[in-house]
Amino acid sequence: MSEKEQEILQKLREELGDRIIQVQTTRNEKLLIQVKIGAHKDAIRKLLNEDRNAGVSAITGVDLGDVISIMYHIRVHGDVITIKVEVPKENAKTTTICDIIPGADFHEREVSDLFGVTFEGHPNPKRLILPDDWPQNIFPLRKDVETANLIRTLDSRKSLYNEKNVAEGENVKIVFGPQHPALIEPEMFSLEVDGEIVKRVEPRIGYVHRGIEKATEQRTYLQNIYLVERICGICNACHAACFCQTVEEIMGLNIPARAKYLRTIILELNRIHSHMLLLGHAGTEIGYETFFHYMWRDREPIMDVVEMLTGNRVLASFITIGGVRRDIDEKMIPKIKEKLAILKNKLPFYKNLFENDPTIKMRTKNVGILSRKDALKLCVVGPVARGSGVKMDVRKDEPYAAYGEIPFNMVTYDDGDSWARLMVRLDEISEGLDIIEYALENLPSGPYRVRAPRVVPAGEAIDRVEAPRGELFYYIKSNNTAYPERVKVRTPTFSNIRSFVNIAEGSNIADIPASLVSLDPCFSCTDR
Amino acid sequence: MSLELVFRVLVFPGFTFISLLTLICDWVERKIEARMQNRMGPTYTGKAGILQPFADFTKLLAKEDIVPRDSKKIFFKFAPIIAFSIFTFAIFFMPIDGANVLTNSSFEGDLVFVLSLVLIANFFLFLSGWASTNPYSVIGATRVLTQFLGYDIPLFILALAPAFLANSLSFSTIASAQNIPFAILIPWAFILFIATLQAELEKDPFDIPHAETEIVGGYETEYSGRRLAFLKLAKDTQIVLGAAIAVELYLGGPYGPVLFGLPEPSYALWFIVKVLFVVLITEYLTCVFARLRIDQVVVGNWKVLLPLSIVSLMLTIAVVVFSQLMGQGMM
Amino acid sequence: MLKEVLSHIFREPATRKYPEVRPEIPEGFRGRQVFDVSLCISCGLCARDCPAKAIEMVDVEGKKRPLFHLDRCIFCYQCAESCPRNAIKSSKIFELASTDKSELVVEPKSGRGN
Repeated sequence: MSEKEQEILQKLREELGDRIIQVQTTRNEKLLIQVKIGAHKDAIRKLLNEDRNAGVSAITGVDLGDVISIMYHIRVHGDVITIKVEVPKENAKTTTICDIIPGADFHEREVSDLFGVTFEGHPNPKRLILPDDWPQNIFPLRKDVETANLIRTLDSRKSLYNEKNVAEGENVKIVFGPQHPALIEPEMFSLEVDGEIVKRVEPRIGYVHRGIEKATEQRTYLQNIYLVERICGICNACHAACFCQTVEEIMGLNIPARAKYLRTIILELNRIHSHMLLLGHAGTEIGYETFFHYMWRDREPIMDVVEMLTGNRVLASFITIGGVRRDIDEKMIPKIKEKLAILKNKLPFYKNLFENDPTIKMRTKNVGILSRKDALKLCVVGPVARGSGVKMDVRKDEPYAAYGEIPFNMVTYDDGDSWARLMVRLDEISEGLDIIEYALENLPSGPYRVRAPRVVPAGEAIDRVEAPRGELFYYIKSNNTAYPERVKVRTPTFSNIRSFVNIAEGSNIADIPASLVSLDPCFSCTDR
Repeated sequence: MSLELVFRVLVFPGFTFISLLTLICDWVERKIEARMQNRMGPTYTGKAGILQPFADFTKLLAKEDIVPRDSKKIFFKFAPIIAFSIFTFAIFFMPIDGANVLTNSSFEGDLVFVLSLVLIANFFLFLSGWASTNPYSVIGATRVLTQFLGYDIPLFILALAPAFLANSLSFSTIASAQNIPFAILIPWAFILFIATLQAELEKDPFDIPHAETEIVGGYETEYSGRRLAFLKLAKDTQIVLGAAIAVELYLGGPYGPVLFGLPEPSYALWFIVKVLFVVLITEYLTCVFARLRIDQVVVGNWKVLLPLSIVSLMLTIAVVVFSQLMGQGMM
Repeated sequence: MLKEVLSHIFREPATRKYPEVRPEIPEGFRGRQVFDVSLCISCGLCARDCPAKAIEMVDVEGKKRPLFHLDRCIFCYQCAESCPRNAIKSSKIFELASTDKSELVVEPKSGRGN
C-alpha cells in the first residue's frame, strides 16, 4: 500500500467511522474496503473529491452464496481503489451512484441485468445486455444458474423482442442499427430526430452477448487464455495480457524480463494495427475511400510482422501465463525493422493529410465535441479521454510489461472533437513504432517463459492494461482449483459508449457515423 | 423511314453504341479508381476485367425482382426504366460522329432541351426513391432533389458560357465552333463546370444521395433484380451524358485531327477518347476528396458555386465583347 | 493526396491475384496441424487442454489416439505445446474451407502422419 493510499484510507476512516466493515488488499496490493450498505455512496463521493480526474473504472458483481458482493472500482490518482458492499441475495437492493457520477450508468445496469441487483434511484433502469423478453427471474451470472438449464429455458421461449418505431411527440424516430452499413457489429441506437438534428439518443447493446464471463468459470485457466483472447479479435493480445497478468499476480509469479519485452512488442503491434484499422474505417465513414485503401494497405506490414512473430495474422495466441509462447528469432529482427520502416515513412503523409485536407477537416473538426468536463463525468477511457485533454494512460499510471523501462510520450489533444480523437491515434502509431524499435534493440536475453502451475491458489486480483481503445479492466477471483471462481472483464468500449449519447445529442444526422466511429467502438468487446 | 436511320438509331451511334460506351465507361471508371487506390479493380472477366460491368448487369437481370408491399407500385416499377430511357434519349442529341443520332434533329436550342431532359430524368430518380417509402430511400430521394435543384442553376449558367462564345444554343454549332477548345479559352468556366458536374453526377465529394454509411443505398435501397440493373444503368448513362455534355461544350466535341480515312469514324473515336478523359477527371476528383455533409453542400452551392458561376459568365461575356471589339479594331 | 493518387495510376497495385498468385507464408505459421502417430504416447493431454474441445481421443488398434475436429479448431496450437513428445507439428496448409463438415474430421491413421 503506497503512502497516498494510506492517506486516503485515513480520510475515509474519518469520514465513515464504524461504517467501514473491513479493509483488505488484493494479491497485487490494491485497496479493497468493505462498507455497510448505503455507506458506499459517501465513500465514493469522498474518493471523487480526492482527485479531480477520478472516475468509475468498473462495477463488479460476485455471487458469494447468500450474498452478492458489489464492488465499485474507483480510479483515483491513476490507481484503483475498490469500495465493496454486500447485499443479501433475496433482497438485492442498493442505491445508485449515477447522481454523483453519471458514468456509472451502464456499469450499474450491467450488474442489475446479470446479478439481479436493483439500484434504487437509477435514472434509466431498463435492460441493457439481456434481451427484453428474457425471463424475469433468471440472472445468468449467479452461481445457481446452470448453463444447460438456461439454454433449455431460453429455447422454449416464444416471444420475440420488438422495438416500437414510434416516437412520442413530434419527432421522427430513426433506428440506427442493429443492421446498418456504418455499423460492422450489431448494436442499436434509436435516434429521435427533428429535421436533420438529433434530439435524443437511446443506445442498446447486448445483441451479440456471448456470456464469456460465465463460460470462463467452466474452463481451466489455460483454456481461458484463448477464450478471453476471442472477446475481441482486434485487441486480442491485450485481453490475453491482462488475463495472464492478473492470474500471475494471484499466483505471485514473476515473469522473465525477456517475456516482458516481447509482450510489450506484441501489445504495441496490436495497438498500431487497431488504430490503423480505425483510421481507415473513419475514412469510409466520411466517404473517403482512397484514404481507407491507403491506410489498410499500409497496415499490412504490421500484420505481416504479427504473423512472423506469432504464426497468425490476427489472433496472436502469443501471451501465456508465465511469459510468452515462442521466442523471437534473431534473424527476424532486421526483417521486422524493415517492415516497420515502411510504415514509419508513410506517417508524415497521413499527418499532413489530417492537418491540411479541407474535406477531412470539414467533416471532423468541431464535430462530436466531448468537453473535458463531460469526459471526466462520463468516465471515458483511452484515446477518447486523451482527445478531450484528460491525461490518462495505464501505461504511464501503472506501468505493466516493460512500459516502465521504455521511454514514450503520452499523446493528448485538447480539442475534444472527432478530429482530436483521430489525431491521438495517429500520433500513438508513431509512438508505438518507437516503442517497438526500442524494445527490439534493448531486448534482454534469458528465458522467455516460466512454468506455471495449473491450480491457482485462492485469492483475488485486479489488473489493467491500456488496450488500443483504452483502459481494459480484469478482476479475477480464484478458489484454489484449476477453474476461476469469477472473471470480470470491463472492456474500454463499455466505458466509452455511454458518452456517445452526449456527443450525438444536438448534432447533425450526417455526423452520427463519423462521430460514432471516432469513439472506436468495439461492440464484440462490449458484448462479452 | 430509311434503313440508314434505323441503323443510326439502333446500332451506331445510337442505342447499341451508347450502351456499350456506358459499360466501357463504367469499366474505365472502376479500373482507374482501383488503380488510384492501389487495387486491382475488375480482373477476371474478359481481358483485364473489361466484361465485368456487362457481367454485373446480366447477373442483376437474372435476379429476383422484389416490389415492396407498401411501395407506390406504378412509380416504383417504371421510374428506373423511364430515367434510363430519358438519359439515353438525351445523348441522341449529342453530335457523336459529327452529326446527331437523328441526323437532322439538331436545332437551335437543343442545349436547353437536353438540360431539361436531364432535370426530368433526375426527377424520375427521385420518384424511384420516393415510391419505395423506405425511410432511407425517401431521405436519399429528397437529397437527390435538394442537391440537383441547387446545382442545376450553376450548371445552366456555366453551360451558357460556351453558348455565348459560339453565339448559339445548339450543341453541334457550339462543338464545331471550337477551333481552340473552350476549356483552354475560358479555363475558369471549365473548372467550375467540372465541379458542378461532379455534384450532378453524385460523385465524391457530393455523393450524399447514396452515402452508404448514413442512409444505406439511398433511393436504390429497396430495388433488386432487373429494376436495380436499370437504375444502375441509368446512373452510368447519366455519367456518360454528363461527360458528353462537357465534351461538346468545352472540349471541342467530336472534332479533332482526322487520322485516317473517312472523318466519321475518327470523329467517333475522338468523342470516346474525350468522354473517357472527362470520366477520368471526375474519377480523380472522387478519389481525392471525402464526402461533404448535405448542409455543407447546399451552403457551398448557394454561397460559393452560384456567385462564382455568375462571375464566370460575366467574365466570359467580357471576353466575347472584348474579342469582338478587337476583331472590329483589326478590321 | 493529389500527387499520391496520380502517381498510383502507373504503379503496380498492392493487392495480389490470390488464387493465381500464392502468398508467402512465414516460418512457424499456425496452419493445419500434422499429427505423427508413431510419436504419440496416448496421454490425452492435447484433448484435455484444447480450449475449443476439438480433440477427441478415439480407439485405434486398441490405443487412444487424438481425432481432430478441424471445424471446431481455433488453431491456437495449445495441443502442440501440451504434447510431451512433439507428435503434433505445424504446417503451412491454410486452405481448409469445405462445404462438408465431415471432411474436416482428421482421423488418426496408424503408421502414417496425415
